[in-house]
Amino acid sequence: MGRYVIRRLLQALLTLGIVLFLLHYLMALSVQVRGNPALLFFGGDRTPDPAMLAQVERLYGLDNPCYERTGDPCLAPFVDRLQNFVRGDLGTTLNGNRDVAELLSIYIPNTLRLFAFSVITLVAVSMVLGTWAARHRGRFIDHTVRGTTILADSIPVFLILLTYVYIVAVPLTRWARDIWGTESFMGQVFRPSYNPDYPWTTIIVPGIIVGTVGLATMTRLIRAAQLENLGSDFVRTAKAKGLKPLRITVVHVIRNSMIPIITGIGFLFAFMLSGAVLTEGVMGIPGMGRMIFQAVQRQEGNLVIVGLTVSAFVVVVVSLVVDLLYAALDPRIRYE
Amino acid sequence: MAETMRVIGDTLPGVDRNAPLLEVDSLRVEFQVRGERIPAVRGASFTLEQGRTLAIVGESGSGKSVTSQAIMGILDTPPGHITGGRVLLHGVDILEQDEETRRTVRGNHIAIVFQDALSALNPLWSVGFQIGELFRVHRGASRREAKRRAIELLDLVGIPDAKNRIGHYPHQFSGGMRQRVMIAMALALEPEVLIADEPTTALDVTVQAQIMRLLKRIQAERHMGLILITHDLGVVADVADDVAVMYAGEVVERADIYDTFKRPAHPYTKALLRAIPRVDAVGGELEVIRGLPPNPAALPSGCPFHPRCFAAEDVCADEVPPWIEPAEGHGSRCHFAEEVYTDER
Amino acid sequence: MSELTAPVPTTERQASLWSDAFRTMRRRPDVIIASLVLLLVFTMAAFPGLFTDKSPTACAGRDARLRPDTWFTGEHPLGTDAFGCDFAATLVHGTRPTIVLALTVIVASVAVGLVLGIYAGYYGGWLDTLISRSLDVFIVIPMLMGAILILSLFRGRVSADNLFDTIAAPALALALFGWMEFCRYTRAATLETKNLDYVVAAKCLGASDRRIMFKHILPNAIVPVTAVVPTTIGGIIVTEAALAVLGIGVQPPATSWGVLLSDGTEWAGGGYVYLFAWPLGLLILTVFAFATFGDALRDALDPKLR
Repeated sequence: MGRYVIRRLLQALLTLGIVLFLLHYLMALSVQVRGNPALLFFGGDRTPDPAMLAQVERLYGLDNPCYERTGDPCLAPFVDRLQNFVRGDLGTTLNGNRDVAELLSIYIPNTLRLFAFSVITLVAVSMVLGTWAARHRGRFIDHTVRGTTILADSIPVFLILLTYVYIVAVPLTRWARDIWGTESFMGQVFRPSYNPDYPWTTIIVPGIIVGTVGLATMTRLIRAAQLENLGSDFVRTAKAKGLKPLRITVVHVIRNSMIPIITGIGFLFAFMLSGAVLTEGVMGIPGMGRMIFQAVQRQEGNLVIVGLTVSAFVVVVVSLVVDLLYAALDPRIRYE
Repeated sequence: MAETMRVIGDTLPGVDRNAPLLEVDSLRVEFQVRGERIPAVRGASFTLEQGRTLAIVGESGSGKSVTSQAIMGILDTPPGHITGGRVLLHGVDILEQDEETRRTVRGNHIAIVFQDALSALNPLWSVGFQIGELFRVHRGASRREAKRRAIELLDLVGIPDAKNRIGHYPHQFSGGMRQRVMIAMALALEPEVLIADEPTTALDVTVQAQIMRLLKRIQAERHMGLILITHDLGVVADVADDVAVMYAGEVVERADIYDTFKRPAHPYTKALLRAIPRVDAVGGELEVIRGLPPNPAALPSGCPFHPRCFAAEDVCADEVPPWIEPAEGHGSRCHFAEEVYTDER
Repeated sequence: MSELTAPVPTTERQASLWSDAFRTMRRRPDVIIASLVLLLVFTMAAFPGLFTDKSPTACAGRDARLRPDTWFTGEHPLGTDAFGCDFAATLVHGTRPTIVLALTVIVASVAVGLVLGIYAGYYGGWLDTLISRSLDVFIVIPMLMGAILILSLFRGRVSADNLFDTIAAPALALALFGWMEFCRYTRAATLETKNLDYVVAAKCLGASDRRIMFKHILPNAIVPVTAVVPTTIGGIIVTEAALAVLGIGVQPPATSWGVLLSDGTEWAGGGYVYLFAWPLGLLILTVFAFATFGDALRDALDPKLR
């Protein structure tokens, strides 16, 4: 087990290393093909004084001549970048010249809070729906649950968001405030945008919306797992042992159904990250997603790379945790 | 023995010690499939006495496993429904008891060993937990007590190094050892009736013999009633006292082991016996029963065996044969039971 | 004895699997409805002329933002957009880039995934290590993120003269991050199949590696892949729309549903809801049809999960 963990950790590090290099190479290629983003510092079109341009290039590490040669992997700046990353220096933004590491320390916790609500929503809703559908397999309820979750999955998250923000949120907030007052929980929870004064209340709704990503997949997984376990031989054995239905469910069905649920969360996590980009962008939540959203719009290559690195890091860690949870849950899985 | 009887009296009011241990009386089971009712068991009757072994023999689909599940009360409902008949344990109809009492009967009085131990054991719990669970749930035993009893049981069924094996998971055992675990679990609460549903089908031939010997030994020690469900007549000849042959959901012949093998009274039994390879019959061609087992949704008219029967006459297609007893304690559901019995057909 | 062939199972078993699946699907009303919707959309993409006789580029400024008060009749059945172009024509002509983009991406992803997956699974060794490692690398970046990365780093002005230029950049970016799922399924199926008796038999009879891979293993590997294709097409359409809303997908003045949606959001608040609602409805309907079809297909091809 210990050796397996170490091997997986090394593998994860290697993956991350390659991801970092690819990101760097793509950015270098972009500079080589499209020209110098340092020009943005001077507001785009104007031709700045060459001396000042050189200074800014140095500031952003773009002064290496490799950026002039298309196709050059720019290894020297890559090593510099890695060294900076290790030292905790993630560079600064082109717009406003802010320290990226500092921004991350604000953004990451916000995104984590968003995800907490998303995962809870996803697991709770799909558990209920999946179990319900499994109990009524092949009947009207089963088909309805399936159709509804597929429909929910078919509507892109950003459309749910836009509909919510532009159409639903304002009247709902007004209605809630008339009843419970502006400062109450209900008065804040439906706001169309994030409000840092109510950091928990105003993140619930976007969290739930992101949680609808993959609802159909997850419900399907849970339904299948429940059906497989309910009809399994070992549940029949448990019945033959004279156990009560509740004990059979708790001891013999739920634990066996955990594995597909964990797989599902691991698999959907990456998609939820994409959902967060748009959600945070539209709802104005200062998190990783909005950072990437804005970095794309302002063409800040470095910021995009840092954001994607963090996202890649999270995905790698989540898949590692999923694999370890498997081992903890299923004794048949032995890692050598 | 006295002790077990007392337990029965506690959990099952109305127990009659003089009544047979287990009596199944015209049991009927139907499956509801897409609005259609398909009969799986059509009036199965047999009796099991204490300390004896009853073999239920039949092809796959003849309703023998469904019968055992109906007795245990673990039919998948829906689609399976018991639509008639009685299952008497010491004279008490357990089908009429409430769910709570029936749960007590399971494991405490009737236990079952399934064919495929690998899927019948929960892969995520240690065998110790799964055996001990019975003591924890039914006897309110402590964790430690349950573990101690589980070790005893593994010892009893001949698993070496039981103390260490107790924490292992089903996949870590070989097929034969896994079946022993299954048997240990069934024996845990000292049931009076043990149903073994094809307990050796999934095993190697040498291991099969070991498992059967183990079952026989424990049955003799505990004076249990054993119902052995199988399609292997060789095993039946070795261990059974009585035989019930099932075909198309009903018992077509019932007799003790000697009569069954010596003078079968039903053409189906006769054909089955002829299909056994024999060491002394060198050169001859092995007989097979022609045709296929009938589709339970569309049974042939009259006697369901008539399309495949070597002795069939016109009457077989028209009339359901009565239950005929050509000898004391030897019955057969065949129009020509007497002739088959006396070997005239 | 012209050519050595393996024992029968592959083709026959495959044939019955597919025809069984087809028969199961044919009986489900939801599948029939979904198929009709998809047929409509495909027809719209292939022959826009059947649905509208206007040109989406013939616009008149004085006709801008005419609400479709007379439903489905009159000069502009669905009204006109912000530049006075006929909205029905815009919508219908926007279908082709959307569908062609989705199909291009799926064909490219499946092709890359199948080939890499079969080679990795069949040969194993360093090739498998290499392909599995790159799979790991690509899979940590979700499709939308990857596309955002590529498109934002290499954003340039693309002239929208022809279909190819319109969709090339987003198609490339999406396909680059879309092949992993197919590769993984193919690899797993290959590993499973390559030790089956009839494949080993074919090998013993001297069939070439390539013949074994594409004659015997591919028919098996293609089953799990096909089962996820329709759902993935739906996903690609959604992702394209998201990219368009971010402003980095198909670039205006070329149209796609995503572009129309992204334009529509600006006008929806001002009372021109139809500019938002039509592309929205069409998109959801199509994606829903793909997902329903895919769900049924997965069921039909994998009876275990029913």
